[in-house]
Amino acid sequence: MRNEPLTPPDALAAIRAPFAGAGTEAVDPPILQPLGALLDLAGETLRARLFVVQAEGGAEACLRPDFTVPVARMHLERGGGAGRYYYEGRAFRAAPQQTDRAEEFLQVGLELYAQGDAAAAAADVEIATLAWRAAAAGGRGDLSLWLGDVALFGAFIDALGLAGPLGARLKRIAARPRLLQAELARAGGANSAEAPEVGALAGILAGLSEREAAALLEEVWALAGVERVGGRGAAEISQRLIRRAEASRAPALTETQAESIRRFLAIEDAPAAALAAVAAVAPRAAGLKAALAEWGERLDQLVKAGVPADAMRFATRLGHTFDYYDGLIFEVRSLALGPERPVAVGGRYDSLPARLGGDAGVRAVGGMVRPWRAYAGGEA
Amino acid sequence: MSEPLIIAVPSKGRLKEQVEEWLADCGLDLKVSGGSRGYMASLKGQAGVQVRLLSAGDIADALDAGEIHLGVTGEDLLRERGGDMEARVRLLRALGFGRADLVVAVPKSWLDVDTMADLEAVAHDAVARTGRRMRVATKYLVQTRAFFAKHGLADYRITESGGATEGAPAAGAAELIVDITTTGATLAANGLKILADGVILASQAHFAASLRAPWSAEQRASAERLLRIIEARAAAHDTATLVWPAAGEAQAAVIDRLVAQGASRRPFGLLVPAKAMASAALELTAAGLGPVTVSRPDFVFELRCPPFEDLCAVLPHI
Repeated sequence: MRNEPLTPPDALAAIRAPFAGAGTEAVDPPILQPLGALLDLAGETLRARLFVVQAEGGAEACLRPDFTVPVARMHLERGGGAGRYYYEGRAFRAAPQQTDRAEEFLQVGLELYAQGDAAAAAADVEIATLAWRAAAAGGRGDLSLWLGDVALFGAFIDALGLAGPLGARLKRIAARPRLLQAELARAGGANSAEAPEVGALAGILAGLSEREAAALLEEVWALAGVERVGGRGAAEISQRLIRRAEASRAPALTETQAESIRRFLAIEDAPAAALAAVAAVAPRAAGLKAALAEWGERLDQLVKAGVPADAMRFATRLGHTFDYYDGLIFEVRSLALGPERPVAVGGRYDSLPARLGGDAGVRAVGGMVRPWRAYAGGEA
Repeated sequence: MSEPLIIAVPSKGRLKEQVEEWLADCGLDLKVSGGSRGYMASLKGQAGVQVRLLSAGDIADALDAGEIHLGVTGEDLLRERGGDMEARVRLLRALGFGRADLVVAVPKSWLDVDTMADLEAVAHDAVARTGRRMRVATKYLVQTRAFFAKHGLADYRITESGGATEGAPAAGAAELIVDITTTGATLAANGLKILADGVILASQAHFAASLRAPWSAEQRASAERLLRIIEARAAAHDTATLVWPAAGEAQAAVIDRLVAQGASRRPFGLLVPAKAMASAALELTAAGLGPVTVSRPDFVFELRCPPFEDLCAVLPHI
């Protein structure tokens, strides 16, 4: 396992200061985290990057790959509500094949839990500003703050006014480039074909009440000698058969719609120009307009808080890789280290506390810096 | 004496029998030392070679780690070692037995799921509705993860399965499985069906070389001898020798034509691909050459040995 060199104490103190000063409580969540819970939240793709450990007879655990979920779990165990947690500690990630990245490294960060929209908007600006300051304190002169918004794609798709299943599918596959490309490539083309016998069954089911449809499907199983295994019931399967048939009849994207999605996803510019480009490519819809107005506000505040306007970039594609982010997302990148090795990252994850069993009203945002990457004499 | 070339072959089951048959067919009979339960063996006529009998899974591990030079095991097991298999192991020859497909199988009762795209939609519905991800029982973690990622499927959890994976959905331990199957009968008996685009790998037994093992010049020479014999036997299975009493120049045209079709000249005859032997013989007799005697060679040693050359190309120079 490759360890990261230590950041010199005075450099570390400077990098730590912005986050440490803003937190009201320093926390140190357990290094060992339950594997199952983490994979449930982040998805199985994370497994390749985790160090999994197990004591004899014990449940599988992993070394914390970051602090977001461990701090969220700790926060909820204490009963939730509001909180401002500062942390500094080691995190562990297996390096991708053929790279010599450190697998054990220091993270310094802050997680903010608050109620209500106004507090959330302020927290967005605060966390991005702190991350910028922490990264900049390392002394690198080649930093830029990359901004994005996972929710913006959804608002944009809504503004296109697509048929229900198609819009839902596009939002769902936003994070999956291959599927999204396939859907875009299908634009203007024929509908996906459905096997005739299954299509006929779906047609019959569609004319029945939910209960009748489920009962009919049970009969179909019995006639075909199919045993029901594996959790999903007749009601669920019969309803999805109907939905699938509907979706296959629903029109694909038009060429024009596909082209606007492509143009939307290609937007990457100085924030003001990028937001103007989003407005230009999208039809005027209330939801999107509100989201863009909020972004205008955020940018003003970021500049007021001292982030240089010419160091900021906005990219619509940013941040579709992690499952639990659902709003603002940011990365501080160094030119020397490149986009694959960000100095600081963070984002909003409002739905995560609820998925962990917490109160749905709590809004959460967090950010962290990697001191060795921020330090000018550090990672090269 | 210098270090021997170490080869591992399966120590039990149908695969062991098939490997023994294959080696014997090549004239390389396996001689087990230490009685019938021995786990060491030698190959007839190959002094510098030591054979170990291991389980197919252990052979994949040992090839991967460089503890042995050559081995026979399933491609599915080699690929499960993760990362870039090509950087650690070289497949030298597919053996045509030990066939098994690694497949994604879902309950037959899921009439709404025929493809990976269907599965992706259902998996997403499940996590959106219940907050819990669909569980996939398998012992093939690496290949499952890579295949699902390729199909954009992220909303699932792997439940590691030690054995009897096909029973997991019926037992309620998982919703679907990724497992090896040969005929699909076991899957069907457990109420499962294979997705239309759900074949992850069509696997079979391979003769493979480890690139991580230390390869001395002597070990390379032993491997070359062995590979040349194996290749010569495989080539012999695919070719036939045609001979006929010598005749005049008048019939040269037909021979030139057959050579152009892939035959090679022999003194008083031709070596032709086995599948073309009857048609070639008929062409010769039609041209007035005959009687044509067709015989199958035991071995055809070519001047070059491509699998060995490929192996040397990726091994470090010595």
